Amino acid sequence: MNKTFKFISCALFLTGAATGPAMAQETRVGTLRSGGDVPVGAGTLFNPEISVILDFTYGYFEDGIGEPEGYELAHCHGHGHDHDHGISEGFALREAELTFAGALDPYFDMMLMLALSEHGAEIEEGYITSRLLPAGLGMKAGKFMSDTGYINKQHPHDWLFIDRPWMNEYLLGDHGLTELGLQLSWMPPTASYTRLGIEILEGKSEGVANYVGEKNHQIVTVTPDGNNKPVRNRWRADMGFDDIKSPRLYTGFLKWGPDIGFDHAVQLGLWGGYGRAFQAEDAHSSGRLETWDGESSFGGVDIVYKYNGQGTMGHGNLVLQGEYMYRQLDLKYKNRNFSDFSTLEILDEKDQLWQQDGLYLQGVYGFAPRWNAGLRFDMLGLTNRSYEEADRMKNDPSMRYTGQVSYAPTEFSRFRLQASYYDPAEENGNGHSHGNGGWKFALQYNVSLGVHGAHTF
Amino acid sequence: MVKLFISILFCLTVAPSWAAGRVNVAATVPNMGMLAREIGGEKVNVTVMTPPDRDAHYLDARPSMMAALRRADLVVAVGAELEIGWLPAAIRGANNPTIQTGRTGYFEGAAHIELIEKEIADRSRGDVHPAGNPHFDLDPVKLAKVGHALARRLESIDSDNAEYYRQNALEFENKVKERMNRWKEKAAVEGVLPYHGDANYLFRRLNIPIHNHIELLPGIPPTASHLRDLVRSLRDKDGVITYILFQPSRGPEFMSSQLGWPAYRLPTQVPVDADAEDYFQMIDRWVEALSGN
Repeated sequence: MNKTFKFISCALFLTGAATGPAMAQETRVGTLRSGGDVPVGAGTLFNPEISVILDFTYGYFEDGIGEPEGYELAHCHGHGHDHDHGISEGFALREAELTFAGALDPYFDMMLMLALSEHGAEIEEGYITSRLLPAGLGMKAGKFMSDTGYINKQHPHDWLFIDRPWMNEYLLGDHGLTELGLQLSWMPPTASYTRLGIEILEGKSEGVANYVGEKNHQIVTVTPDGNNKPVRNRWRADMGFDDIKSPRLYTGFLKWGPDIGFDHAVQLGLWGGYGRAFQAEDAHSSGRLETWDGESSFGGVDIVYKYNGQGTMGHGNLVLQGEYMYRQLDLKYKNRNFSDFSTLEILDEKDQLWQQDGLYLQGVYGFAPRWNAGLRFDMLGLTNRSYEEADRMKNDPSMRYTGQVSYAPTEFSRFRLQASYYDPAEENGNGHSHGNGGWKFALQYNVSLGVHGAHTF
Repeated sequence: MVKLFISILFCLTVAPSWAAGRVNVAATVPNMGMLAREIGGEKVNVTVMTPPDRDAHYLDARPSMMAALRRADLVVAVGAELEIGWLPAAIRGANNPTIQTGRTGYFEGAAHIELIEKEIADRSRGDVHPAGNPHFDLDPVKLAKVGHALARRLESIDSDNAEYYRQNALEFENKVKERMNRWKEKAAVEGVLPYHGDANYLFRRLNIPIHNHIELLPGIPPTASHLRDLVRSLRDKDGVITYILFQPSRGPEFMSSQLGWPAYRLPTQVPVDADAEDYFQMIDRWVEALSGN
């Protein structure tokens, strides 16, 4: 916390230094005034700007494909019952995204993105951003996708593949790092694009800030008494997690993009974070309770290169991107079971240091107008120090190889065909193997209706 | 140590733009950059954010755009949704209050002229722009009118040089007037068949009828049957075919071979560091193509 504070004051001090000359220039450049132009066509037809995106998928999976070994902690609990942007088998209307955006007043812009799925509605993002902060400062508040990493901030319809990279899914969360909180950013007025920022977040993403809080562990069974009448037995005890007050997660990021001409663009990113609470539990029906309680820290790098080809409709365009992320969980593991109806007795207790990483590399090329094709390589666990119950495991890395071909009749609709070969490292009792691999095929049709959205880098 | 670090940072970042004491202009396309340079002269620094050989409608926001917008006192855009694919995102990503839409630092040429070809907001008609065709910058008369509006805007940002800006706008307008009669006389072709509506303002200015467009609908490439229909309907007429550097040549070349009309592949934007002379030369090339000789 102290470090964060120092960082903020340092950033504010530096921007103060930057404000000086701008003030001196005030007589020339004038203070902020209205009297500028309102974009022609905006604000007359759509206010707020509204767009709807539909995402249909079809998936065909080979049977028996395993999960990457060593990433079960917290990850599996949030899986499956929610819209998680993963691919599922058979036909699926993965989601409908409903976006409202516009200037709220002279001071703030607002953006709300609702994800509607068969499971209900969810606020995917909803935030305000500042319009008028001086000296290159920016502020964002609400629920938003964190600026940690490159792909984390992209919505599913902006992805170049149907699903998110493993690194993002397994090390940050099913929705990447999407959190409630506050972001402050600063851009110095340099010739090359430079943006740095900090985020103060609620902290509940599965991968780095899983949170349980105070909670009871309870099992109820009904057993016969001496006359074979049913008797209800209830075991109940506190799991032992503390309520940790929000904010529980802090992140920082730096993005830098030198100007390398009109044909090329490159951006480098460096990011990291600290979660002061990481709590996870696994309650077994036998009454046994496993808990992990501690903190997390993580960091990553990303690089994106784009080549703008001279062809029409994406022909000749090339995008290369890669990210690497490392995560450490410093946890106290407890394995307990009831010794009577209200007491948990410790069977195992251990300090565990989880150290895991992941990366992906991908390239997409526009081989004809309106067509592109891409390859992606996912790797999880180059370092894979994880635990099975109390015991430390050194797991193998898992790999995934993906190829896709996309066809976009216009910029408002797109078909995509994708094939992935999964090669997960899995434990098979007496060591490790890569025996549970297989293919997954998917088809996607993504359409957008409404205003023409702008594409960020 | 901290002081030293701050002074170094200051020298590297803030000092250069401050010392120059000019109005920093970020222009979306080279034509608007040329206009800003003509009107602003030595009182402005112009950065052009996109190259002349790309369709500004189909670009994505890039880090260099956001860096230019971060330092800008004034953004000069064509507007009417031409830059809608990237400019709103780049402005949002620039942390600069001065250039937000509606503020003095946001200038959109389309807001200062009458647009043509207003359309119904229905995308089954293609990538339409309900507010009208945004490509006014190829009409020298409309561009000169926007030049006066830009002079007024520069004046409200930098009132000390008001007279200078007005004078420059007038000069640009006069240069256009000098050439206009010659251009109108020379452009005598019976009609034109462009790929897309990039130069429709110029055709109208020169009183040249637009037969049709080669693309099926705005943003949608021609189908074989559409090209056949075009050939059938234009067989007995005369004209020239035009398309832009970044547009596919197959449709235009096919039409050229079927109709026996010449096809011209032309630029719509001047080089990034161009002046008015370069712009007039580009118009000369169009007029030459439209002369029918």
